[in-house]
Amino acid sequence: MELLLTIGKSVLFVAVVFAVTLLHVAYATYFERKVIGRMQGRIGPVEVGFRGLLQPFADMVKSLFKEDIIPNEADRPLFFLAPVIVVASVMTSLAVIPFFNNGSIANLNVGVLFIFAMASLAVYGIIVAGWSSNSKYAFLGGVRSAAQVISYEIAMGISLAGVFLMAGSLNLSDIVLAQREQPMGMFAVVQVVGFVVFVISAFAETNRTPFDLPEAETELVAGYLTEYSGFRYALFFLAEYISMYIMAALVALCYLGGWALPGFLTRALPFLELVPGIVWFLLKVYAFMFFYFWVRATLPRYRFDQLMAIGWKILIPVAVLNMVITAGVKRWLM
Amino acid sequence: MRRRVPDFVRKILFVEILKGLALTFRTMLKPPVTRQYPRERRDPKPGFRGQHAFVRNPETNREKCVACQKCATVCPSRCISIRYETDEHGVRHLTKYEIDALRCIFCGYCESVCPVCAIVLTETYEYASYSREGFVYDRERLLHNWDRFAAQLKRPAYFNMFWRPAGADVKRLAVVRRLQQPVPVRQTPDAGIAGTREPRAGQGQAPTQGDR
Repeated sequence: MELLLTIGKSVLFVAVVFAVTLLHVAYATYFERKVIGRMQGRIGPVEVGFRGLLQPFADMVKSLFKEDIIPNEADRPLFFLAPVIVVASVMTSLAVIPFFNNGSIANLNVGVLFIFAMASLAVYGIIVAGWSSNSKYAFLGGVRSAAQVISYEIAMGISLAGVFLMAGSLNLSDIVLAQREQPMGMFAVVQVVGFVVFVISAFAETNRTPFDLPEAETELVAGYLTEYSGFRYALFFLAEYISMYIMAALVALCYLGGWALPGFLTRALPFLELVPGIVWFLLKVYAFMFFYFWVRATLPRYRFDQLMAIGWKILIPVAVLNMVITAGVKRWLM
Repeated sequence: MRRRVPDFVRKILFVEILKGLALTFRTMLKPPVTRQYPRERRDPKPGFRGQHAFVRNPETNREKCVACQKCATVCPSRCISIRYETDEHGVRHLTKYEIDALRCIFCGYCESVCPVCAIVLTETYEYASYSREGFVYDRERLLHNWDRFAAQLKRPAYFNMFWRPAGADVKRLAVVRRLQQPVPVRQTPDAGIAGTREPRAGQGQAPTQGDR
């Protein structure tokens, strides 16, 4: 009985997280189009519903009813499998994210590593998509994506190593709690170098501008997505936005203090403790999402060799330096 | 002189990128420039060269054209074709006047050369058609265009600025043009408004090749 109740609770939590995430993804597209529109002097979607608020649902219905085209020479099993791999691995990362205190589906001790592993797995889906489409644009997009993610994952992991060293744990909840007594209640102040490296890598990892080379529409049509249509296209789209949310959540948890408030703030204004932690968490996540869109509205795309140069010649050395210095300070000065 | 910040410091601090981000953020706070076209129509500025029309003479209720051929002569794209008959007094009577609006480049020479202010490029800019023939304007169609334009004009009278070009010596203009007053616009409710369907192809005369 006890066991059944636990299982039931977990399943319910999973379902809620799943549904809420999907809703957030739907409105992230709306948010993005509105923000980018306003930044370019346009107004964004306004036609469907009040101020265009039903636009995500119109898009969803449209993509569901689109013709599902599979290229003749495509490798059909892999073509079907690719979007599933991407969405499944991206969705799995949601399990270890603590949305509020003790509010994660699975409180893993290696939560961050798990997210990294899942992000790398998602790249398989992208490569498989590019390969199985049997189209040169899709293939180039897939290969670019592989090269890009491999390069930037290193910088990302090493930049987070500083955070792990300071928190003394790989558990996301412990990392959040370790930040409470830091200046401003976040690692972003002490670990500012790692923070900047991580943010840049997060843009590359999620294939967002200025590093959106895998789907560079000016040169590769739509990159690995070129041959996909209808619902399968929507799955890739979904995965891209969920992985953006996961990166935003990682930034919020590892650098911006997650659901917790800085210790000095709760001591000065005790009533803030009453606000549920998820409010602060979402606030931080959406601030970072806004930053994603803001950068997209501002920057052009890097060339591929520039992308590689930034990754290998700048970010990785800087991240390593940051890690070594953090370790040294931790060992001898604290 | 202020010392410039070293280049590598600017690079490390992302100065250029931050400038760009500041610009987009400022733009976001400004009102958007979008005009929601079918709902928000823009009023043409004076001198706008839109759909062709014959000014309807309030006295005769017909066009004022005297078949002098000046417009057909001056037209750079040769899209105007005119036929006329001469009666026993030597007076020309227009029998055919056609403008192919698809060939027209909207230079406005015809309206600025016309000695009697008959042809005019109105401020109407919504005149799509489903067929090419719908853009060949004959006499009746040109008068109809005028009625349509006059019905939606918000001013009580219309004066085309090409009738008296800026800087032109008034004494050298043709007499009718010198004396041309703003044309009073009669509001004809049945003339329709912009965006309504046009009479379809084939109602005017079919265009014939090589009439000049």
